[in-house]
Amino acid sequence: MKIENTKAQMRKGVLEYCILLVLDGKPLYASDIIKGLKEAKMIVVEGTLYPLLTRLKNTGFLAYRWEESTQGPPRKYYELTDSGRKFLSELEESWTELVDAVEQVRTKKA
Amino acid sequence: MKKTFTINISGTVFHIEEDAYEVLQKYLVNLKNHFGSSEEGKEILADIEARIAEIFIEKSDSVHKVVSIDMVNSAIEIMGTPEDFAEEESEQEYEPTVESKRKRRLYRDPDHRVLGGVCGGLGAFFNMDPVILRIIFVALFFITAGVAIPAYIILWIAVPKAKNTAQRLEMRGQEATVKNIEKSIKEEISEVKESYRKFKESDTYAKGKKGVATAGDVTYNVFKVILRILVIVIGVVLIISGFLGLLGFISSMVIGHSFVSDWPMIWSPEFQVPGFLDHFVSPGTVTFGMIAAGLLVGIPLLAMLFIGTKLVFRYKTNNTAIGLSAVAVWFIALFALITVGFGQLGNYKNRATFTETKTISCDSCQTLTLNLGEDLYEDYAKLDFEIEDIKVAVVDGEEVMLGEVRLDVEKSGSDEFVVTVKKASRGKTREDARDTAEDIIYRFDLKDSTVVFDPYFILEKDDKYRAQEVNITVKVPEGKSIYLGENMVSIIHDIENVSNTWDGDMVGKTWIMKPEGLTLVEEK
Repeated sequence: MKIENTKAQMRKGVLEYCILLVLDGKPLYASDIIKGLKEAKMIVVEGTLYPLLTRLKNTGFLAYRWEESTQGPPRKYYELTDSGRKFLSELEESWTELVDAVEQVRTKKA
Repeated sequence: MKKTFTINISGTVFHIEEDAYEVLQKYLVNLKNHFGSSEEGKEILADIEARIAEIFIEKSDSVHKVVSIDMVNSAIEIMGTPEDFAEEESEQEYEPTVESKRKRRLYRDPDHRVLGGVCGGLGAFFNMDPVILRIIFVALFFITAGVAIPAYIILWIAVPKAKNTAQRLEMRGQEATVKNIEKSIKEEISEVKESYRKFKESDTYAKGKKGVATAGDVTYNVFKVILRILVIVIGVVLIISGFLGLLGFISSMVIGHSFVSDWPMIWSPEFQVPGFLDHFVSPGTVTFGMIAAGLLVGIPLLAMLFIGTKLVFRYKTNNTAIGLSAVAVWFIALFALITVGFGQLGNYKNRATFTETKTISCDSCQTLTLNLGEDLYEDYAKLDFEIEDIKVAVVDGEEVMLGEVRLDVEKSGSDEFVVTVKKASRGKTREDARDTAEDIIYRFDLKDSTVVFDPYFILEKDDKYRAQEVNITVKVPEGKSIYLGENMVSIIHDIENVSNTWDGDMVGKTWIMKPEGLTLVEEK
């Protein structure tokens, strides 16, 4: 098993969660989402985000509306749908569980 | 100074420098290949393009909005290449169908190549070590006496190189081998079964528009599977017959001996083409004609091979360009061959004769015996071929062209026996024809009162076939007679006589020349 691959897998697993998290509360434009994720080093290149956004939108967790932009083409502003919010709370729950579980294992070991 | 283009990205117009344009173009094509042409893929691409437009606007403060290569590169850096996505998203959990639908295609592999990357690409396609394929190829080279080389070159030309990531991914694609084909057929069959089942359900439960639509779907799917199987079968047949045809054709052209002649195939040569033609035309013309003929026959065979491999391996090529150039070359070859052909016809335009006369000085001879000499070429009876009385025999490894002679008997003007040998030939000019006629070698021997004729005349070694003939006339003075030996039957031709006896009945008998003509001498 490649180490790089495992890392990528781990990151990828939480990436969706992070996207939903960033979008919780306020609609955002793709590059705003990216800004937050890039700072946290969740993603390296922006190209990764677009497929995820589109798929989340097609699953029904996200919706977007167009907004005119002063600099360039109109922008897609994404926001959570009701089912997206529900999914997010589910994810939040399992994330907490997961972190707890990992933490438990780590403390036991130490 | 740099050339610029005007492009429209997501509704915004940019001026872009030429080199930058090329990089951007390549990048967008890569992305397109990566995301596929589904609705979702298109949407992702549109989003990315919009973002790129924004990046360009951010980076260019000037009014003119000229996009340089640095801007393109930094945009690509920000957005990432398909390789980066592949790394970051590796195996996607959702929508695996999108990935698995990407079928494997044959490409040349530039990363694993010795020559053109053909074996590397085939290795990727069949999921085999290219080294094994190279060994097979080298073995094929020896077995087929080099025919494998053009096959390699065709693949080199026809199979595109895997240039971008998308193509590299396609090259390794989903699983491989002949199983791949089998699997995709099975998949399609199960799809058909599925839709048939649905069709049955809908037929039972809800007749109407939906049923009709599904019925169309079922027939479409059944048709698709049958078509795919048919396409593969046709492809395989084309590959096999194209390859065998090429093998037989090249072997008969170059080697002169077809080692596949026992195999069932379209082209099975009976003889050695260059050797055969050498008897008619000069070697230079043979080579030229062979190349033209080679293209004329070879191109359709290559086309068969090409179409066959395309049908089976499904690789992308510029069909129009390849097809058009093939057709163009084919017509050029046809034209060249016609020109050569007419040029050769010119060699038969004029006819000339050359006559040698020999008086037989044998005063005491009352009866001249005419006999046929031994057939020296009887032992070399395995003659290559025969056209219009000309035979080719192989003597001590050398080919000898033999012609059958004809002999007639006439009344002599003098009171001596005279034998005339009239040699005739055709040629480009009368002089050529005469020279060639003169070159014909023909012998007869006189011993006592017996003349022995050679059964054949021989063409001089470097002379070509020009419809040469040798006609012998034995002139018999009045009052003297001839005895025709039994074996003379093979060369005598329509000898006039008073009793109108057939040639076959004239031999073994003595004939006397009387004022009214040749008359049979009754045995006493």
